[in-house]
Amino acid sequence: MKAGHWVIALAVLALLAPAPAAAEPHLSDLKTALEGRKVMISFRLTDGFDSELRERIQSGLPTGIVYDMQLFKDRLHWWDRGIAESSLQVVAMFNAVTREYLVNFKLDGRLIESRQLRDLDELEEALTHVEALPVFDLAPMPADWKLLIAVRAELGSGTMLAFIPTHLRTDWKESRKFRPPAD
Amino acid sequence: MSLRQRLQAHSKDTRWIVAGLGLLLLVLSGIYVFILRSRQLPASLVTNRVLIFLLWYIDVVLIVAVFFVLLRNLLKLLVERRHRILGAKFKTKLVATYIGLSLVPVLILFVYATNLLQSAIDRWFTAPVEQVVTYGNAMAQAMTTRVQSTAMRDARRVLHDIEPSGTNAIERPQLGNRLQELRAELEADYLAVYADRQLVHGSVNPQAGMSDLPDPSKSFLIAVLRDGRAPGVIELPGPNALLAIAGVAGATGPAGRTVVVLGTRLEPEVTAGRAALIEAYQGFLQLEVQKGDLKTSHLLTFLMVTLLILLASSWTGLYLARRVTIPIQALAEGTRRIASGELGHRVETAADDELRILVDSFNQMTAELERNKAALERGNRELLEANRRLAAERALIATVLQNVAAGVISLDAEGRVFTCNGAALAMLRQSESEVLGKLAADAWRDEQRGRLAALFAAPESTAVGSLSSASSRELRMALGGEWKTFEVKVNSMLDEAGQPLGRVVVLEDLTELLQAQQIAAWSEAARRIAHEIRNPLTPIKLAAERLEQKRRNEDPGLQAAVSEAVEIIVREVEAMKHMVDEFSRFARMPRPQPEAIEVARVVDEVLHLYRGLKPGVELSAEVAANSARALLDPSQFRRALINLLDNALEATEAPGRVTVETRTLDNGSLEVRVADTGRGIPPDAREKLFRPYFSTKGRGTGLGLAIVHRIVGDHHGTIRVDDNEPQGSVFTIELPQT
Repeated sequence: MKAGHWVIALAVLALLAPAPAAAEPHLSDLKTALEGRKVMISFRLTDGFDSELRERIQSGLPTGIVYDMQLFKDRLHWWDRGIAESSLQVVAMFNAVTREYLVNFKLDGRLIESRQLRDLDELEEALTHVEALPVFDLAPMPADWKLLIAVRAELGSGTMLAFIPTHLRTDWKESRKFRPPAD
Repeated sequence: MSLRQRLQAHSKDTRWIVAGLGLLLLVLSGIYVFILRSRQLPASLVTNRVLIFLLWYIDVVLIVAVFFVLLRNLLKLLVERRHRILGAKFKTKLVATYIGLSLVPVLILFVYATNLLQSAIDRWFTAPVEQVVTYGNAMAQAMTTRVQSTAMRDARRVLHDIEPSGTNAIERPQLGNRLQELRAELEADYLAVYADRQLVHGSVNPQAGMSDLPDPSKSFLIAVLRDGRAPGVIELPGPNALLAIAGVAGATGPAGRTVVVLGTRLEPEVTAGRAALIEAYQGFLQLEVQKGDLKTSHLLTFLMVTLLILLASSWTGLYLARRVTIPIQALAEGTRRIASGELGHRVETAADDELRILVDSFNQMTAELERNKAALERGNRELLEANRRLAAERALIATVLQNVAAGVISLDAEGRVFTCNGAALAMLRQSESEVLGKLAADAWRDEQRGRLAALFAAPESTAVGSLSSASSRELRMALGGEWKTFEVKVNSMLDEAGQPLGRVVVLEDLTELLQAQQIAAWSEAARRIAHEIRNPLTPIKLAAERLEQKRRNEDPGLQAAVSEAVEIIVREVEAMKHMVDEFSRFARMPRPQPEAIEVARVVDEVLHLYRGLKPGVELSAEVAANSARALLDPSQFRRALINLLDNALEATEAPGRVTVETRTLDNGSLEVRVADTGRGIPPDAREKLFRPYFSTKGRGTGLGLAIVHRIVGDHHGTIRVDDNEPQGSVFTIELPQT
C-alpha cells in the first residue's frame, strides 16, 4: 500500500470515528459517614456547571439543581430494597444590582441553608459540592444489613430534536456499602 | 350484525376515546405539576417547564388522535372497499379530498409560520441588539465602578489615617470622632470600620436620608477580608436607592482584622437609569437563555394549532363523508336485503336533505313491495288450500266412486267418457282403456252396449232432463254370455250459466234384484195358488162329506143333496179352471207385436166394456189430437187398459170419476194416464204394487198390475203411480214410439 493510500484510509477512519463526546455531567466522590444514626452524605457534581447553566444564572433566572438521594438495603442477587429517599434542591439567584448570588439549600422542601456569594467559583462550589450533609436518620435495624446510598442530579430540562422536552439528569451514583450502627 | 352496523357502532366510541385521551392529558399534566411543585422550585422555572411539557403532551395527544382518526378511517375504508360496500370508493375520494385540501395548506402554513417565528426570535438576538444592551449594561456597571473606585481610594485614605504605620485602628481612641471627620472631609455618605465581620464604628451622612446604618453583606466583608479589598453595592430602602461601597482590609489586631467600608450614595436619576439598563440587560439575557425554550414552546404551539386544524378538518371531512355515504350505504344494504327477500327491512338513517327524500321513497317502495308480496302469498296460500281441498275432494269422490256398488260414468260436453268407475267397468265387462277418453258411440260400439250409447245419441235436451229431472231406463244386455238388466239414470250437468258441462250416467245392476224378486214372486205365487186351490177344495170336501153322511143315514134328501153338491163342485172346479187360465195367460204372454193403431178407438172399446157397470162412477176419455195413432201391440195395450180401469172402478165409490187421457210427449213417447177419485194407494204399497200376486184388495189373483208392468216393459216404456188431486190415484204410462 502506498503512502497516499494510508493517508486516505486514515482520513476515512478519522471521518468515521465518533466525535469526542462532550463531558457529561456526573456525580463523583460519593461518600457516606455515620454520626450516631445520621447518615452524612458527601459528593461532587462534575461537569454540571457548564456555560449554559452559568449564563442562565447570570441572566437572573432562578436556576437550580436537584439531587435525589435514596437509601437502600443491599440484597444479594436481587434488586436492592428502598428504605428512604430525600431530595436536596440548590437554587441560585443572581442579583444584578449587588452582583451577588443568593444560593438556597432546601432538603425535602425545608430551607436548611442560605448563602450570598460574590463570584462564580464560589457559586459553582456551592451548587456542585455537598459535604457531609445529614440526610437520613436510620431507624433501628439489624446490624448485619448492608446499606448503600444512591444519588442522582437533575439539572433541569432540555429538548431533543429541538421540540421534544427532556429531563437532564445524571445517572444514579451508588456509594460503597456500609453497615448500620450497632444499637 | 352487518359490517356497516359494526362500523357505525364503533364510530360512536371515538368521542369517548378522545375524551379519554384528554382526561389522560390532564391527569399527566397534573401529576407533573404536582411533582415539580413538590420540589419547591421557583415558580418561573416551574411555569416554563410546565408550559413546554403541557404543550408537548397536548401535541402528543393530538398527534395520536390525528393518526388514530386517520388510520382508523383508512382501515375502515380499506375494509369497506375489500367488502365491496357500496359508497366506499366515493367515501374514499371524499375523505382524501377533504384531508388533502386541509393537510397541504395547513402544513405549508405551519412550516412558513414556524420559520418566520424562528427567524423573528433569532432577530431578537442579533449582534446590534446584543451590543446595545451589553454596552448599556457595561456603562451602568462602569458608572458604579467609577463611584466604587473613588470610594476605594477614599477608603484607603481612611485606613491610612486611622492605621498609620501598621497599627491596629480598632485600638485607637476617639476612632468614632475621627471617622466622622474623615467622612465629612471626604464627602462620603457612609463610613464604617469592622473588626473582621463585626461592626466597630459607623458614620452616615445625615443629608443622605438613611434612617439606619447600612449593612454590607457578609459575602462582601468575606471578600474584603479574603482579597484585601472589594467593591460592592448596598440596596437602601426606597426606590432606586443604592449605595456604592468599597472595602479595604487593614492590620490584624486582637479583635480581628480591620475593614474600612466607605460608601457614596448614587444619584437617584443615575440609579434609575442604571437599574433600567441592568433590568433590560437581564431581561435580554433571560430571553437569550430561554431562546431554546421559547422556540420550542412556539414550535409546539404551532404544531398544536396545526394538529388541531388537521384533526378538525379530517374529522369534518369524515363527518361530511359519513353524512353522504351512510345513507347511501344504508340504501345499498337495504337494496341487498330487499333483493334477498327481506321485504320487511326499512332503511333508517339520519338524513335531512334530498337523501331523506330518497330514503323515504325507498322505504315506501319496499313497503309497497311487501304488501304486494303478502297479497300474492296470501292468494297463493288460498289457491294451494283450494287445490289441496279439491284434490282431497277429488280423491274422496274417486274413492267413493270406486267403492260404490253403482256404476258411475261421466261424459264431457262433447260426449267423451271422462270417468268410469270400477263398478261400471265390471258391469259392462270393459277396461278403462276401452272407454276413457272415447266418444260414447266408440266406447260402446257393439250391439248390446250400443243400447247404452244410444241413450246419448239424441240431443241432450231431448234425451234426458236436467239434474233435477233425472230420467231412468231399464236396459237388458247380453254381456259375457248372460243377460244383465241395468237401471240407467242419466243426469245432465250444467254450469252456473246453465251451459251443459256433460252428463253423469248411473248404472244399477238389477239382474240379481230381479232374480230375487222373481223368486219371491214365484214363492208368493205358489202360496197364492195353494191358497186359491185350497179355497174351492173346502166346499168340495164339505159337499162330498155331506153326501156320504146322507148316504150313510139313507137320508131321503140324498138326491137333492147330490144335485146341490154337484152344483157346488162344478162351480168350484170352474173357479179353479178360471184361475189356472189366468196363470197360464200370464205365463204365456207373448212378445208384443207393435203396429199402428188408433188409440182413441181402443180406448173407446175398453171404456164401452165398463160403462154402466158401476152406477155413480163416471167414465170419460180424453185423447189428444197428437196421440191419435201410436205404434203398439193392440191386444196388449187393450189388456193393460182393461186391468187399469178394472182396478180404478174397483177403488172408486160412487159418486166418482175415472178418466183416461192420452197425449204425445215432446220426446215422442205416448203418455197414457188413468186417473180415479177412489181411495188412493198407501205409499208403502206403491213399491210392491207391480209385483205379481200382490193385491190390496184381498181377493183376485194379484196379477193385474204385474201384467200391466210386463206389457209396458215389453214396450220399453215406464209406468208410475201418483196421487190424484184432490183424491185418488193416477197411473201414468210412457211408451216410446221409436
